[in-house]
Amino acid sequence: MSALGGAAAGGEGINPTGTLVGIVILLVSIAATYALGFSIIPLIGIIIGGALVGFGVHFVPVGGAPAAMGQAPGIATGVAMLAAGAGLAGLFGGAWAFEATGDFAIAVAGGAVGGGLMMSITCMMVNATYVFAMGIPAASGKVAKDPITGDTFPEYKSQGTEGHGLPFISFFGGVIGGIVTGLGGTLIYLALLGIYETGLPVIMQAETAAIQPLAISLAGIFAIGFFLVNAVLAAYNITGTIEGPHDPKFKRVPRAIIGCAVASAFCGLISMLIVLNTGM
Amino acid sequence: MEEIVLGIGITALAGAFATVAGAAEDTESDIGSQGDPNSQVQLAPQMGYIHRIFNKAISGEPPAYGAWCAIGAGVAWALMRINFNPALAIILGSVIAVFVQGVYCTSGYLGRTASLAKFQQPVYIDIIKSLLSVTMAHAFVAIFCTVAMCHLMATALHHPFALPLLGLVWGIALGAAGSATGNPFYGKERQYQNQKFGAGVPISASGNIVRYAEAGQRSSLDNGWFTTKFAGPASGICFGLIVFLELWRTVLFEKTVAGWGAIIVGVILILIFTFIDRWIEVWGRKTYGPYTAAEEASS
Repeated sequence: MSALGGAAAGGEGINPTGTLVGIVILLVSIAATYALGFSIIPLIGIIIGGALVGFGVHFVPVGGAPAAMGQAPGIATGVAMLAAGAGLAGLFGGAWAFEATGDFAIAVAGGAVGGGLMMSITCMMVNATYVFAMGIPAASGKVAKDPITGDTFPEYKSQGTEGHGLPFISFFGGVIGGIVTGLGGTLIYLALLGIYETGLPVIMQAETAAIQPLAISLAGIFAIGFFLVNAVLAAYNITGTIEGPHDPKFKRVPRAIIGCAVASAFCGLISMLIVLNTGM
Repeated sequence: MEEIVLGIGITALAGAFATVAGAAEDTESDIGSQGDPNSQVQLAPQMGYIHRIFNKAISGEPPAYGAWCAIGAGVAWALMRINFNPALAIILGSVIAVFVQGVYCTSGYLGRTASLAKFQQPVYIDIIKSLLSVTMAHAFVAIFCTVAMCHLMATALHHPFALPLLGLVWGIALGAAGSATGNPFYGKERQYQNQKFGAGVPISASGNIVRYAEAGQRSSLDNGWFTTKFAGPASGICFGLIVFLELWRTVLFEKTVAGWGAIIVGVILILIFTFIDRWIEVWGRKTYGPYTAAEEASS
């Protein structure tokens, strides 16, 4: 027990009661979508996309304030913010690719690559700053050896710190995180775009072509909203900082996937209500 | 062919705008002390170190710049809808966004510093007077360049998103790139200039930021002067590369390999940056060497 009387720590486990409540909310959202006459396929796309965003955020090496002083490894900014930056860059690429080709697979892959490219450039520049401007080599504080390159870290940690910079495993995690969040964000966007492209012309009694810009803008705004919901939920699960896939906190991923899937299902239902045809 | 040539020109221009935006964004955030290093500016008075550094971090840089660029792009978009000249519309939109930023800075400084009253940290009115206009000027450059870049994407490159939406997306990405690249340099190299070069700041030194300059007390203007030597340009290169390469691969290769060309080029670019990063990491390890012998560290 902690001093406040609660459990000692959040831990890595999954709360069965919370999970059950979450699954009920998820199923009710799907059932309500079906009952209101919508196809549940886009909602499934939104749920998978949301879960992917939550999953991907855990890969991104974020060191927060300690990283800005070279006290801890990772990128010196917030979890949700960096993931949002990468995922939205991916969303930009995915939406553009879909506009140009109309191909679902190309658009999703374009979103993934856009997110990965943003993260690879950012992570490279972080290491360039640490090495060339600050004279500090990369060292992880969570593992003694890099699981990919085999580099050892304890002797490269400066005194009184938990490590610094971005070891290769963290760089790798950042790129994978960018790819997965970009893919998830684009999936959500495409699902929403499909809903609005078919729903808006009916309720507004207008041509599909005339409604297209509105459908794209609505889908884009909602996709960004979904993105932030899932990124912030994942950030709460991480609680502060994470080094990447090798960090013990990464084991908390299943909890984030469940939470993000539930939140996406409920938010997905709300986003569909905009185009609910009440016959008025 | 003409379309591709025009696309490459627009891509280069957008990349140049992004580079300037990234440099201005990071310099603004260092002078205003908005990023993660501001935790030390907030902590210092609590450890007994009274200072004259600006202190305005209410939110992180990505959501802040997302909001400001979306406001700038939204106003510019609305003005263009009533037939304003695009250049004038973007300038007016950026000016209005900068006023929002100024309000945010003022309330941020007053609010955060007043919360430190119990630690005897004064609210210096002259700091607001002398630094507010400087952060607003840098923010104007960053917002104007980002909105202009988004306008090029929407009109010349025909991206499907509306201008305000592009402003939000690229504003968040601008803040993410600028804070990731620039924060360590401001946080470690400038705030903790009294610590050893080539090592992280020991956790025990937290809060003991450098508060004195060559003459008198250090001002946040001095921090801007220092960080423009590396953090600003590096952030500019980071954001410029992101924007330029994202547009370049799409404009040139979108229609090749049955639509997969841009994706293949993107993957190749990711691999190239991976190799460069690994080279930088190995170079750092070889050049600087370990801090302690391997046996000693592991024991």
